[in-house]
Amino acid sequence: MVIIFLTLEAWAVEKNPSEEKNMSPESLPKRVAGWTVSGDGQTFNREKIFKYMDGAGDVYLAFNFRQLLVQEYVKKSAPPIVVEIYQMSSSEDAYGIFSQDTDGDEVKMGQGAIYGLGLLRFWKKHFFVRILAEKETEETKAAVMAIGKKVVEAIPGSGKKPALLDWVPAAGLRKGVIPYFHKPISLNVHYYLADSNLLNLSEKTEAVLARYGMNQNRVRLLICRYPRPAEAEKGFEQFCRSFLSESPKKDGTMQVKKIEKGQFVSARWMDRVLILVFEGDDRKTCEQLTQAVAKKIMEANR
Amino acid sequence: MKGKKQGERRPITRRDFLKGTAYGTVGLALGVNQLGAKALAQEKITPFAAKNPTSKIVLIRHEAAVDEKQRVNSGIVQEMVDTALKAITGKQDAAEAWKSFIRPEDTVGVKYTHCGWMRVHTEDAVVTAIVKRLRDLGIPKKRIYAEDSGIPLAKCTALINVPSIKVHALTGIAVSIKNYINFSSQPSAYHDDRSVNLGEIWLFPEVKGKTRLVIVDGLRPYFGPGPQINPLHRWDYKGVLVGTDPVAMDATCLRICQVKRNLFKGEEWIITPPPKSISAADTKYHLGTSDPAKIQVIRLGWEKDVLI
Repeated sequence: MVIIFLTLEAWAVEKNPSEEKNMSPESLPKRVAGWTVSGDGQTFNREKIFKYMDGAGDVYLAFNFRQLLVQEYVKKSAPPIVVEIYQMSSSEDAYGIFSQDTDGDEVKMGQGAIYGLGLLRFWKKHFFVRILAEKETEETKAAVMAIGKKVVEAIPGSGKKPALLDWVPAAGLRKGVIPYFHKPISLNVHYYLADSNLLNLSEKTEAVLARYGMNQNRVRLLICRYPRPAEAEKGFEQFCRSFLSESPKKDGTMQVKKIEKGQFVSARWMDRVLILVFEGDDRKTCEQLTQAVAKKIMEANR
Repeated sequence: MKGKKQGERRPITRRDFLKGTAYGTVGLALGVNQLGAKALAQEKITPFAAKNPTSKIVLIRHEAAVDEKQRVNSGIVQEMVDTALKAITGKQDAAEAWKSFIRPEDTVGVKYTHCGWMRVHTEDAVVTAIVKRLRDLGIPKKRIYAEDSGIPLAKCTALINVPSIKVHALTGIAVSIKNYINFSSQPSAYHDDRSVNLGEIWLFPEVKGKTRLVIVDGLRPYFGPGPQINPLHRWDYKGVLVGTDPVAMDATCLRICQVKRNLFKGEEWIITPPPKSISAADTKYHLGTSDPAKIQVIRLGWEKDVLI
């Protein structure tokens, strides 16, 4: 009980709104690599983000979004470049929104960055940054990178990655950014599970989804950490009943089921954590991954 | 096991897609383990052979419609639109084909998509090709309203729905059914789960029965997760699709985008959220059919990577 209390305290401290200053248009360079700012930068807060991207603002709100700064750069006879700087409530959430779409090539920028066809995305501290050239050319690519470097310089220091990533076993883990998120809207982007909130996820839940194996092997490990054990238990119960079509074991012991296409799925509930394995080749795969996570959790709680 | 509360809905899970039982015929297009159009056709869908097809979709593609710098060739697009119109009507002449849908005395709303934040607009070349043919029919400029918003619906006797194709973070996919969202005075009432009701907009008194044609810009569709564009998730499909059934059209575009997503990732990457608006437009609002067995896709032109 004491352990649970202390962990919750730590969670609450981590999730307090950051005292960091907002990014202002003045923080951005006026001229970079031949591109100059066009018009005044626009800012959008939690209420106004919908004016910028309609209802899709919900995707950002799911990561405790605080403020967006948008600034366009132009150059005569060249495609415009749009800089979007999203200020989240924590560095964990900045990492989280960055991890939503990682298609592209990893580049060195901030605390993690990806570039592809004119679009640069990176995170640093509690900021997620998108810099998009309307069309990719050698020149726009260089300008996008140069603007990115200037933005990085305007954000001093660094932030923590989600601690939940430490629970992801390294053996057999696929290379790449591991998605971190809170709500079903984000889970479904990576791995469609259901059209309802089967796992009882909320803005206070943390989750990571890791991939294992090579080539056609599709094993996925989903770890969800809830504020309270009762919420994890509810997620376990709902998952067992609606996905496994089984009654949940009262003590949360691992349940494994062979489902369609010969896939193995498992679920285990431990205190305020839910460990799920999808698309295992066999029972053993599910057991090994679950046990590896359980071991890490027990070590962390010692 | 506890019994379900009265009225409690059983969730549609990933397993329903594995079984092929989710969202009826729309779910088939999203079926898991469908890595290619061929597999989709062979495993789940009876190839078109229905005795009484209810909907025809003409898909025309041209290799030179978009160049390597993503510049659209408007002359080729005009030719594509005209050829598709001739194919769907069986007429030899483009003007005659257009007359099958639009009369010179009509007031026509050409509803295209302008999507500022996602940047997946209907290409000007497609809108221009349509407006040119309306003018050729003798309709004066003042009776042609080519707009994304602000079309005077009460004045219009005919509508032509001209959307782009984009997989969408809120509705699953946005093609012709969602293109009418701003005919509502409260578009936000159709966001999230409420997007299932998008079909009801088509039944508003000033909209109902006026849509004569659906002409979809499939030149550069978007298949990514959003909410904002990642250029890697846009591809030069170089197609235009023409039909009269918005449900069949959206179901067809859904299949193309789902196959493209799967090929991009090399594994199933289900379009989410499931585009419930398509199934509802079929079964609840009766705007058309989403059943692939009842949709005849007539393919014309460039065949490479046609995906359907």
